[in-house]
Amino acid sequence: MAEVVLKDIRKEFGTFVALERLNVAINAGEFVALLGPSGCGKSTTLRMLAGLEFPTAGEISIDGRVVNDVAPGKRDIAMVFQSYALYPHMTVAQNIAYPLKKRGVARPERDAAVAKTAALLQLEPLLNRKPRQLSGGQQQRVALGRALVREPKVFLLDEPLSNLDAKLRSYMRAELIELHRRIGKTMVYVTHDQLEAMTMADRIAVMHDGRLQQFDEPEIIYNRPANRFVAGFIGTPSMNQLEGEISGSSFVIHGEQVPINRALYEDALQDGPVVLGIRPENVSLSGGSLPATVRLVENAGHEQIVTVEIPGGHRLLAREASGQRTSVGQTCQIGFDADFIHLFQPGENGSRFETTGQAHVIPMEAQRSASDES
Amino acid sequence: MRILRKLGFNLFTWILVLLVAFPLVWMILTSLKPQTELFRIPPTWLPETVTFEHYWRLLTETPFLIYFRNSVVLATTTTVFVVVLGAIGAYSLVRFAYRGRETLATLVLFTYLLPSVVLIIPLYLMMVELGLSNTLASLVLAHTTFALPYALWLLRSFMEGVPEDLESAALVDGASRMGAFRDVILPQLLPGIISTALFTFILSWNEYLYALVLVNSDAVRPLTTGVMTMLISAFNIEWSLLMAASVMMSLPLIVVFAFLQSYLTRGFGAGAVKG
Amino acid sequence: MAIAAHAGHRLERRYARLGVFLIAPTIVVFSLVIVYPLLAAIYLSVFSVYTPTLEGEFTGADNYIRLLTNAAFWNSLITTLIWTVGTLSLQIVFGVGMALLLHQNLWFRSLARSLVLFPYFVSTVVAVLVWRWLFNDLYGAINHGLMQLGIMDMPLDWLGTMPNAMIGVILVGAWKYFPFVVIAVLARLQTIPEHLYEAAKIDGAGPIARFFDVTLPQLRSVLVVIILLRAIWDFKEFDLIYLLTGGGPVTSTQTLSLLVYQEAFALNEMGQAAAYSIGMMLVMLVFMLVYIRRTAREA
Repeated sequence: MAEVVLKDIRKEFGTFVALERLNVAINAGEFVALLGPSGCGKSTTLRMLAGLEFPTAGEISIDGRVVNDVAPGKRDIAMVFQSYALYPHMTVAQNIAYPLKKRGVARPERDAAVAKTAALLQLEPLLNRKPRQLSGGQQQRVALGRALVREPKVFLLDEPLSNLDAKLRSYMRAELIELHRRIGKTMVYVTHDQLEAMTMADRIAVMHDGRLQQFDEPEIIYNRPANRFVAGFIGTPSMNQLEGEISGSSFVIHGEQVPINRALYEDALQDGPVVLGIRPENVSLSGGSLPATVRLVENAGHEQIVTVEIPGGHRLLAREASGQRTSVGQTCQIGFDADFIHLFQPGENGSRFETTGQAHVIPMEAQRSASDES
Repeated sequence: MRILRKLGFNLFTWILVLLVAFPLVWMILTSLKPQTELFRIPPTWLPETVTFEHYWRLLTETPFLIYFRNSVVLATTTTVFVVVLGAIGAYSLVRFAYRGRETLATLVLFTYLLPSVVLIIPLYLMMVELGLSNTLASLVLAHTTFALPYALWLLRSFMEGVPEDLESAALVDGASRMGAFRDVILPQLLPGIISTALFTFILSWNEYLYALVLVNSDAVRPLTTGVMTMLISAFNIEWSLLMAASVMMSLPLIVVFAFLQSYLTRGFGAGAVKG
Repeated sequence: MAIAAHAGHRLERRYARLGVFLIAPTIVVFSLVIVYPLLAAIYLSVFSVYTPTLEGEFTGADNYIRLLTNAAFWNSLITTLIWTVGTLSLQIVFGVGMALLLHQNLWFRSLARSLVLFPYFVSTVVAVLVWRWLFNDLYGAINHGLMQLGIMDMPLDWLGTMPNAMIGVILVGAWKYFPFVVIAVLARLQTIPEHLYEAAKIDGAGPIARFFDVTLPQLRSVLVVIILLRAIWDFKEFDLIYLLTGGGPVTSTQTLSLLVYQEAFALNEMGQAAAYSIGMMLVMLVFMLVYIRRTAREA
């Protein structure tokens, strides 16, 4: 068990700044996901933890030891690559044994460790095969086995499931959660898939443009996103975001008024331009005050996603139970659940006005089933 | 109708292919004809009597075997030297970061295109100076001037084809850079190394100009210049003997073609002609 | 050139040092057998050196003035250009044509490919011996073949008179080097996605239209590279021409490479030869730089 600390990390590639002022402290035994769109710097961060890239400035420590100058093999970490990076010319058994061999573990102990790992991952029948004779899922398990076999302090996983098909992916997700519970080691998991991050991680570090946006538990990331980027990135379909202004206890957009619960927000909120964020599940298609026209209805079986257009030409998404007779062209008065309205500073990535009270906590289970279609 | 068109196409293409191959077929046919049959007018297209006397004479009465041995030593030494240097050089050029690396890569490409005649005069003077003139060593050094840039360029392409993740995985698994090179990269690079070695060997085996300038005694002459001296020294040009020598000289190539041709085509793909 | 490790991270510096260490043997060999001789060639070109004794005396720009004012260099340059353009065009036309044929569904295709490839890999010495025998004026197969077919009624002196000698050299050059074009084009042809042809067919394109609208545009970039490379290599060709005609008759097929050799080792004027070789390299440099820039852009 080991904690991992990234302190004031900066990374430049030539003139391009890939990471800036990155500070992350991961607790011992924690499962942390680095989440963000491609190019956000999450893989670079992981590769720096592994010692495969070098920070331009800042300090990396693992288990209390600064490892900036320590070679990857001496950091007591293991890594699973997106491409699996299995050695093509070695058998499965040789692949799994390789890290032990490099550490000078004697042959009999090596064989025992390989056998144990193979049993854990149900790889026994495959031990004498070459990687190219394995399916994607099997290769994935071998890569995992190679990481597990020498019991490192920290596991680094770089999009390990992204090359699997959807069904196998959800199976492996469950396997990984189970594995983490069993061995209790620190795991750092890079992904661009918010569903993976939400379901697996103890905490999520959301990254964008080389900067850490928010680092917190999944519930908090979902319910209290730090800024417009996090709000838009987490959740499917994305949170609706509308530019308008606050006037008294209403949000005004294109002359239409939407009531808000001003008491929720701390004193920082003043009249003036803001961005209103509302998740599709908190938009109701009737009984509100905002006139809208239905433009599209997408039925996903257990629910349907309705696209409506409000004055000013903005489009919003609403989620409703399927079986409703909503049809294209129909007009309605939509409303927002005031307890779930997020307000952000204007600007491209405005930060969120903090809220008080219980209002924004909904059960995690509901969210999980809600975001399962991704 | 369709079959007729197919037949026509096959016939046409094969006639062209055979025309291209004709000189080589002619070489073999001539080498099997008795000397007297050569000077018939009009010539016999197929030998009336097949004889191996020229091959026998070549091996017993001429220095051919010495030339052959020299060529084997020369081409093998050059190949080993250049491939070893090229493999670690390519590893450095592809997988390490240091100042001047890009310039160096460009320089390699530049030397790869450089005409031999520019280097031959100073190289000749240098070998005289070093006391290496008329030795196989001087030819190995001279062959390095074209073989090393070539091998480096080829191996660099092959090295770029080895996934970087493999090396990263080995490093994380506890290997040093050189350990990763040995355990993971070299096995992946092997087909590329074979390809490069074959190309280098053939280049060195076929080289003529340096051999012409740097070496002038039968004891160290390789096949290219050796066989040409047989042409010049003979009072009456013995074409059958020369054709037999040509066939023998092409033996290594025929072996490569029969068994390892895929490596040659692979070398093309990786080499200069990416487009 | 500055080869130095980056300042900064210690592990990174250690890796950079290892990288430099690994390339060092190559740099040493390069300096010894390429860079030094290249500089020496430039140095020599301002001396007058008598080959047998290697006695030299500084003559300044004399060699270059002679290069510019005497006809030898310019005549050779023109000969080189004729040879290069002639043999290169044949190589490209035959090479692309043959590649297109070999790309089709041919009986014993791999055997046909091997046979076509062979001339490229065979030693120039072998190629030249065979062709000199084929070209032989009294007993050569070419003269008799052409006479039997009724194309000629007199044997021709192929390598001893002009313009036959130039035609002969160009033909042998084309035969020897067109397989390079075949392999390169064939490799490219195999990567053209089938659906492009299917789409063209659906759009109503016949075989000829498909060639001009699908195949040729796809081949363009590889053809540029092939032409550049072959132009460079043909321009500096020595073995083939030297062995076929020795530059003759008189100097009618004496390309620049042969001129340099002749000046250095037959006329024993090493300084002048070095100047010629530098001049030749400067002409080639244009193509070399275009090729290098193109390759660098792709990388």
